[in-house]
Amino acid sequence: MSVATKTEKIQRLAELTATKETSTGASLWREAFRRLRRSKMAIIGAAVIALFVLVAIVGPYLTPYAPTAQTWRGEVFPNRGEFVGPRGENWFGLDHLGRDLFSRMLVGARQTLLVGVVATLIGLIIGFLIGGLSGAAATLGGDTGRRIDSVIMRFIDMMLAMPSLLLAVSIAAVMGQSLTTVMIAVGVVQIPVFARLLRGSMLAQGGADYVLAAKSLGVRKRRIVVSQIIPNSLSPVIVQATLSLATAIIEAAALSYLGLGNPDPAIPEWGVMLAQAQRFFDNAPMMAVYPAVGIIITALGFTLLGEAMREALDPKLRG
Amino acid sequence: MRISKSRAARAITAAVAVALIATGCSSERDSDNKSDGEKDTFVFAGAGDPGSLDPSLASDGETFRVTRQAFEALIEHESGGSEMVGGLAEKWSSNDEGTVWTFDLRKNVKFHDGEAFNAAAVCANYDHWFNWTGTYQSSAVSYYWQTIMGGFAKNEDKETPEANYKSCTAKDENTAVIEVKEPSANLPGGFSLNALAIHSPKAIEEYKKQDASAKGDAITYPKYSQEAGTVAGTGPYKITKWNKGNKEVSLERFDGYWGEKAKIKNLVFRTISDEQTRRQALQAGDIDGYDLVAPADVKTLEDQGYGVPTRGVFNLFYVGMSQEANPALKKKEVRQAIAHSIDRENLVKTQLPEGGKVADQFMPDTIEGYSKDVKQYAYDTGEAKKLLKKAGQEKLKVDFCYPTEVTRPYMPAPQDLFELMKDDLEKSGITVTPKAMKWAPDYLDATEAGSCDLHMLGWTGDFNDGFNFIGTWFAGYDKQWGFKDKKVFDAVNAGSKLGKHDERIAAYKKANEVVMEYLPGVPVSSSPPAIAFGKNVNPPNVSPLTQEVFSEASFK
Repeated sequence: MSVATKTEKIQRLAELTATKETSTGASLWREAFRRLRRSKMAIIGAAVIALFVLVAIVGPYLTPYAPTAQTWRGEVFPNRGEFVGPRGENWFGLDHLGRDLFSRMLVGARQTLLVGVVATLIGLIIGFLIGGLSGAAATLGGDTGRRIDSVIMRFIDMMLAMPSLLLAVSIAAVMGQSLTTVMIAVGVVQIPVFARLLRGSMLAQGGADYVLAAKSLGVRKRRIVVSQIIPNSLSPVIVQATLSLATAIIEAAALSYLGLGNPDPAIPEWGVMLAQAQRFFDNAPMMAVYPAVGIIITALGFTLLGEAMREALDPKLRG
Repeated sequence: MRISKSRAARAITAAVAVALIATGCSSERDSDNKSDGEKDTFVFAGAGDPGSLDPSLASDGETFRVTRQAFEALIEHESGGSEMVGGLAEKWSSNDEGTVWTFDLRKNVKFHDGEAFNAAAVCANYDHWFNWTGTYQSSAVSYYWQTIMGGFAKNEDKETPEANYKSCTAKDENTAVIEVKEPSANLPGGFSLNALAIHSPKAIEEYKKQDASAKGDAITYPKYSQEAGTVAGTGPYKITKWNKGNKEVSLERFDGYWGEKAKIKNLVFRTISDEQTRRQALQAGDIDGYDLVAPADVKTLEDQGYGVPTRGVFNLFYVGMSQEANPALKKKEVRQAIAHSIDRENLVKTQLPEGGKVADQFMPDTIEGYSKDVKQYAYDTGEAKKLLKKAGQEKLKVDFCYPTEVTRPYMPAPQDLFELMKDDLEKSGITVTPKAMKWAPDYLDATEAGSCDLHMLGWTGDFNDGFNFIGTWFAGYDKQWGFKDKKVFDAVNAGSKLGKHDERIAAYKKANEVVMEYLPGVPVSSSPPAIAFGKNVNPPNVSPLTQEVFSEASFK
């Protein structure tokens, strides 16, 4: 038997163990899903998110009026504090430039969701790559690996040390005012969170028996990382992604609120709408209440679902 | 456990409460300095920090608001109006051409540092400014000197205008004679500027020892202008402290003041940049008044019993066009189309404070020289479309810059005004790209350099002379507008060299007609900026020039 065929055999053996691991992994997910379905928190969260996503996708086609048209501009007098509240034509009333608030809320949902999802994806993908690299280096890279890990982690620590909103504001200030900027700024803030989480989780898995077994079978390091350690380290990352969506939506709204978002203030976005409404709070409080409640409920939905998922995926709580 | 916890909580709460009460008391004692329980500190909130305690180095209203209380010029404006009255000069006169100005100075006037005010002191000031060198010659530092008197004894930059100032002579103790080379529409108005207010000669000697420096656009002002102690004027208040950390300038009544002494002992100017916060501070009783009230808050505050006196209208808000930034704007039809597109009536009706008016020329109707016969550009989207078609610019695209996080006396909510005008322009088929910028320095730099196709700005008059408006913009080539039109420039300058009042006014009327025929931009509105005072305040007379004198204020 040649050496080549020998390694091939070991490889196959390793694959077998790997498949087994994944199958137990799958049952972990199935189990989690079952528990999730029984959690009231999760159901409420999921329902809120589903409604939000539905509004974001379908909403813009259902708006009774164009959200940027100042159709009733002669009817509101911000200079005298006279506004138009909810009425038959305009369910939520008019904003300070005579635009239909209901239409603006519907279209604003899409903008808000888009920013939240894209920002979280940016953070997730880059954080995943950095954290994965760092974790792999630390678990299987020997001394050199540990050094690489240490350098990467100090860098991540630096990012974590800065208050997230401040970091986002600085990035947005450097890059100039646009919606892309907000997405990137909020995304970058999430990077260290995901990187740290994945690395920590991988380190914990790195000492597990199945990794030791794969190592002693001579499975290639890259393979151990990709098909064994990472899949088993994913659950906290997924939970975090759900929770991060809530933060991302709030932070994106905050950046827009601070005037770093879309340079065209006519495009409705809940953060922008809130900022605009604040000036008229004494005379037309509802103008601020709609976007504020929108932001709160959506963020709450993601948080509820995220928390429920964390409980469901926690192996210590598995019944 | 529970009991002990709540006990601990109670103890902490009590401790915090005690601490709060203690600090509250002490801070009150600090600021109010009360002996007989009467309030003797008046706190007024402005929207921006002053730049310097020496008004001659400034060109912005926030600085002048502070320095106006401590420094007086030869000529002042009547309280609450725009008529010129005697300041440090009781009377003034000029020769027929308007090149020799004689001032009969007020007697028994003392500076804050004890020096006596006389003709020599006046000349020490004018000669000091005339002999400025280095960074002091930068137009950012000596804007008003250059506007009124041209350049310096030795101009260091080719772009600096030729000096119009000739000399200042102390004819006797109480007569100062200032000579200029050519007559100018800026005189005698210029003598009333707080930037040309008179400082103590002793302070001037101190100023001369210090230098300003510049690095790129950033100017480092001399030390004497950044802390109280050196500057000394003749005003009813003297500046005692500038706490930059707290954003507060403190002033104290000057007991040696020649006129009616200030009614309140201490005066504090505090910077609160956000208009909501300013309003809340007034409602909470932290401040006794503030400037630039949001139009929507005027009624609320009035209903709650606050004093919101109305100022006279003395400003102009306009949409500027930079022809060099977008060559399409060189076509008159395009400029006319933009003017016809904007619904100024609606904008004034819904956004501007009460008393606001649509402007049909680059001068409010309260200024002599306002013409009733200028060409009108009514709101007419159809006409705008027609004009664009005629110019072959049906698919016109423009960048439109607007400032963020700012309110100006002529422009209460820039973003809202921008949104309304953008919508109007789009109705005429013009594609508008919004460009949001921070007011300072980004927006001001961009508009000054003419890099925005369209932008919005305004001007509050310094004194009642038409040239102070049209001359500011159209006396010659200016990057902000990016056009050279001899007919316009000549018409605007015609009045500035005429000594006779009636001839000058007629020339201004003509100039307004020529400007509006050419249409370099769209004048939008004139409106009175609102100012608010606490319930227990007898406010000073409010001024159309936003030149309130706080020594007139008192507590009820």
